[in-house]
Amino acid sequence: MVPVQWYLLLATAVFCIGLFGILTRKNALLFLMSVELMLNAANINLVAFSAYWGNITGQTFSLFTMALAAAEVAVGIGIILVLYRNFDDVDVTLAKGMRW
Amino acid sequence: MVGAFDYAPAIVLLPFLSFLVALAGGKYLPKGGAFGGIAATAGSLVLSAWVFLTVSAGNAYNETLYTWVAGAGEETTRLTFGLLLDPLAAMMLLIVSLVALLVHVFSLGYMNDEGETGLPRYYAGLGLFTASMLGFVVADNLLMAFMFFELVGLCSYLLIGFWFRDSGPPSAAKKAFLVTRFGDYFFLVGVVAVFATFGTAKFAGEGAFPVIAEEALAGSAAEVTTFGFAPETWFTILGLLILGGVIGKSAQFPLHTWLPDAMEGPTPVSALIHAATMVAAGVYLVARMYGFYALSPTALGIIALVGGFTALFAATMGVVKREIKQVLAYSTISQYGYMMLGLGAGGYVAASFHLLTHAFFKALLFLGAGAVIIAMHHDEDMWNMGGLKERMPVTYYTFLSGSLALAGIVPFAGFWSKDEVLYEALVHGLGGSPLLLAGYAMGLVAVFFTGFYTFRMVFLTFHGEPRTEVARDPHGVRWNVKGPLVVLGILAATIGFVNMVPVQDLTGIHLEFLHDWLAHGELSALTAEHYGELLHDYAHYTSADVASYVAGAVSLALALAGAGLAHVLYNVPEPTEHTAKLGAVKDLWYNNYYQDEYQIWIATSVVLPLSRLADKFDQGVVDGVVNGVSSVSLFAGSRIRRIQTGVVSNYAALLTLGLTALLVVFGVLGGWFV
Amino acid sequence: MIIEALIAITFVASMAVLLAPNAWAGRLAATLSLLPVVGSLYMWSRFDATGNALTGGTPAFETTVQWLELGGYTLNWHVGVDGIGLPLVVLTTVLTTLAVVSAWASIDDRQSQFYGLMLFMEANLLGVFTALDFFVWFVFWEAVLLPMYFLIGVWGGPRRKYAAIKFFVYTNIASLAMFIGFIALVFGLGDSVSSLDMPAIAGALRAGELGSLYGIPAATLRTVAFVAMFLGFAVKVPIVPFHTWLPDAHVEAPSPVSVMLAGVLLKMGTYALLRFNFTMLPETATQFAAPIALIAVISVIYGAMLALAQQDLKRIVAYSSVSSMGYVILGLIAYTTYGVGGATFQMIAHGLISGLMFMAVGVIYNTTHTRMVGDMSGMADRMPVTTGILVAGAFGYMGLPLMAGFAGEFFIFKGAFESTVHAAMPLFTAVAMFGIVVVAGYLLFAMQRTLFGAFRLETDYEVGPAPISETAPLAVLLVAIIVLGVAPDLFFGMIQNAVDPLLEFGGELS
Repeated sequence: MVPVQWYLLLATAVFCIGLFGILTRKNALLFLMSVELMLNAANINLVAFSAYWGNITGQTFSLFTMALAAAEVAVGIGIILVLYRNFDDVDVTLAKGMRW
Repeated sequence: MVGAFDYAPAIVLLPFLSFLVALAGGKYLPKGGAFGGIAATAGSLVLSAWVFLTVSAGNAYNETLYTWVAGAGEETTRLTFGLLLDPLAAMMLLIVSLVALLVHVFSLGYMNDEGETGLPRYYAGLGLFTASMLGFVVADNLLMAFMFFELVGLCSYLLIGFWFRDSGPPSAAKKAFLVTRFGDYFFLVGVVAVFATFGTAKFAGEGAFPVIAEEALAGSAAEVTTFGFAPETWFTILGLLILGGVIGKSAQFPLHTWLPDAMEGPTPVSALIHAATMVAAGVYLVARMYGFYALSPTALGIIALVGGFTALFAATMGVVKREIKQVLAYSTISQYGYMMLGLGAGGYVAASFHLLTHAFFKALLFLGAGAVIIAMHHDEDMWNMGGLKERMPVTYYTFLSGSLALAGIVPFAGFWSKDEVLYEALVHGLGGSPLLLAGYAMGLVAVFFTGFYTFRMVFLTFHGEPRTEVARDPHGVRWNVKGPLVVLGILAATIGFVNMVPVQDLTGIHLEFLHDWLAHGELSALTAEHYGELLHDYAHYTSADVASYVAGAVSLALALAGAGLAHVLYNVPEPTEHTAKLGAVKDLWYNNYYQDEYQIWIATSVVLPLSRLADKFDQGVVDGVVNGVSSVSLFAGSRIRRIQTGVVSNYAALLTLGLTALLVVFGVLGGWFV
Repeated sequence: MIIEALIAITFVASMAVLLAPNAWAGRLAATLSLLPVVGSLYMWSRFDATGNALTGGTPAFETTVQWLELGGYTLNWHVGVDGIGLPLVVLTTVLTTLAVVSAWASIDDRQSQFYGLMLFMEANLLGVFTALDFFVWFVFWEAVLLPMYFLIGVWGGPRRKYAAIKFFVYTNIASLAMFIGFIALVFGLGDSVSSLDMPAIAGALRAGELGSLYGIPAATLRTVAFVAMFLGFAVKVPIVPFHTWLPDAHVEAPSPVSVMLAGVLLKMGTYALLRFNFTMLPETATQFAAPIALIAVISVIYGAMLALAQQDLKRIVAYSSVSSMGYVILGLIAYTTYGVGGATFQMIAHGLISGLMFMAVGVIYNTTHTRMVGDMSGMADRMPVTTGILVAGAFGYMGLPLMAGFAGEFFIFKGAFESTVHAAMPLFTAVAMFGIVVVAGYLLFAMQRTLFGAFRLETDYEVGPAPISETAPLAVLLVAIIVLGVAPDLFFGMIQNAVDPLLEFGGELS
């Protein structure tokens, strides 16, 4: 059995990749992917601890998260389409009307 | 047994009813509701006479009729209304209701026949005025007295400002209310303080406050709160506080300035104000609670001094006035000064006597002046008159009767009463009170001036040749003007006979009926006899031995001298103004010693700028702080909100930073790094 | 149940009016608002409470229903009225109806919303004056602000937004201070209370159960909480120097709203001061007697001086409200039966009189379209009835005897003069009483210049008498003022009954 620390390290790595993507990329699609990465990092944690404790709750929860992620993608893609329609680009830094 | 006292509340309620009727239905009634007022005051007069007869049979009435505030439990003060009918009140009721009736009748001639508009308002005002004054007269406690005192002030405001479309009357009305309000402020403090001190404000009966005060001074264990003062000092302070209201309403120096301005009102109203209602209220109040004032020699001394000074002060101003009503106004101030002098000098009966005679002769003079004003088509300047004697004999002879009374010429009413006032001041002054002597001296000098200005007025108005077209062909007056004049003319000539002390001293015939009337009564604490004892025991008044006829002769001589001087100067076919010979003094007198000026100066140059300053302070500093706080937060917000750039990546970075910072903090605090 | 019915009916009525067409929303609102009037008068006739609701007395029409539990505290729906609450309930219902009727002639857009908000406010005000549970009370207390905000902000004058936001933010921040202060007290009481029931809290506080909280000793906690609550209510009253929102709000608000603001909303502040500060923390109040009396005197004189400087009729009345509220504070701190009772009576009297004054000024404004003293003169010539009532009301404001204002002021003066909470109380009272001269000064000056003299007003239309829908409410108010002035015991008896249990700290009864 793989110790739970390894899973945690994996999840941290995935999460950091996602975070890095969000902080550095301007492309909305990459943004969305990065968010998915971070969500999956959380899923890994859930599943890992579920296995570790022998408790099914975590795995159930990760299923929910996946459903949620799917929904999020649907919404996200919609937003990106609108972004593209309005700015002719999918650069997230262009849309900054929502400020002071 | 149903007697006069059971109907006594109706004396007050009848005129009040006429107020309501005139207010609600005056438009639809003939003569604008005048008949209602006449009927009501006549009813009051009849009931007052009945009460008078009942009181003269040795009865008195002192009952609580209405509980204004019941109070919770036994310890709480009850505030009540009630009637106190003793000889003084009975006398005053007669005066007020008689004068009010005559004024109502006269108003038919002065207002209705002259085609005034707004008559329902006028008669409503008269009704309320009469009702308030009657309520004040019968009040059995200080609070009720104060309440009706204020209502009297309201009515004076309404009636002085009757011709509200002109600019003068509203201003005069405002001044009258405001100046008397200033006095009433002290009165109200006094009322509150009396409650706090004695726990009651009743004038008479068991546990009345003058009685408690007397007991407290005698040391017989009555519970009073004197706020750390000696009882004598505190009672003097209380007396002086209440005196503030008296000085305001009775137009004593320095709060007399409203009264000459009040001449802007209709002349019958002036008659009512000066003779029987508002101005009389102040003096009546002192007489009503004389048992309290008699305990404090300081308060009495101040009353006498203010009275004496006002008598002289106002008389001098009356000398130079041009308008007939102005002369009368200053004479009123002066005469009430005499009453105050009498009260302060321990002459309770003398002052009440003067109150009685003055009511009739001053009402007469005002109504006479009103008749002259009708005749002159509302021109009041005496220099435009002259020679009216032949053209309006009834007015002339009745007016003359009033003038003789005012000047104090024997045997008219004013002589007897003014003489007695001065006599009291003299004997008690010689008995060891320099204050009273000073008051006496001023009162005596004022007698000369009174004789002079009174006859200057008579000669200028009625004697000589007519000086204008209007005076040659005056407007006629009808029975409703002449009737009241005749009644009052007879009274002014004869009412003094009720109390002829000098004649009694000379002849030994018993002639001091008013003394007898006021000296005894069922309510022994309210009698002149009792007041005499109080004056002797607490104010330490002692009488010097002076023959009353000697004092009377002195003042008569002075009055005659004044009248004689007026005769020499003005009883000529073509009189000229002699006032210029007085030089600077004339300006001083004509401008009322600049009393109005300084009071207006206080109002417009001190209070108003102060209030503007307060407003600036309020807008600038107080509101400035409020707005400042809001603009600081607005400014801070406008800066801090720049964090919100609208760029998603920045938010993500901030989130990450925040999370990291939190982790670090938790780590440091949780000791992860140790 | 009648209190619930009253509040519920008013809420339902406000919703019904909100949905009604604009054309007859005003008529409907007036008709429906008669129901609470009848209800409150019925309550008055059946009133059987004894003592003070917060100090162990039995309130009338009391109901207690457990509502929910929160953080270890039970929240109850607890309502009831005692001799302090009922007069204010009657005042609220009567004044609302009259304000609604007087609005007919002047409100001419979005009527259904206007009248709906008025009734909504009435419902919440009724809640404030009847609630005996802090949570319930606080919900109503805050909910009053909302309709008021919109009434000023939507139907107001040119600077309505400024005034509405100032009013809302100022009073809301003040509520926060009060809330913190009160909750600190509740926490400080620890286990001795298990609900936010006001009688229970008042009882515990008066019994000295207050303990320390987070290391703050009980004495300090008491003082701090008192000050926080006092400041919170002082804004609402308002007491100088927290009064500056009031003239702005009054000037911008339409007249019927001013009537409610001056007539009822200001009384929330004094009512709350009486219920919280002066009932729950009497020792602290008497400890601060001198500064509170001083601030009351300053309110009276300073407010009156400010009124003297104004040219706008509404500002004059607004500042004079500050002055009158100063009297109320003076009466409250006196801790005598006439002082506290008089203060409560003055709340009613001032509610009626200031309501009348604002309404009358509104009537004149509707005719002249100006409120500046200098712009008009001789209005008595064209509007005799309105002038007559305005003059009568102004004299009522000056404290003319046999009108309600005199009764209230005299009771306060008498009570404060006799008070033993501080040696200088007679002096404070005497100084405050000078307000009766200043009030006469500015009202008489304003009346002389606007009402009397030759008629002068530049308009391109004929100036005539006001419609009956505007003069009738004025007349009703005037009658009410005179009736209460002649027979103050209609309310004063029950007020005294409710006030007497509070007096143990103010020296002897007198």
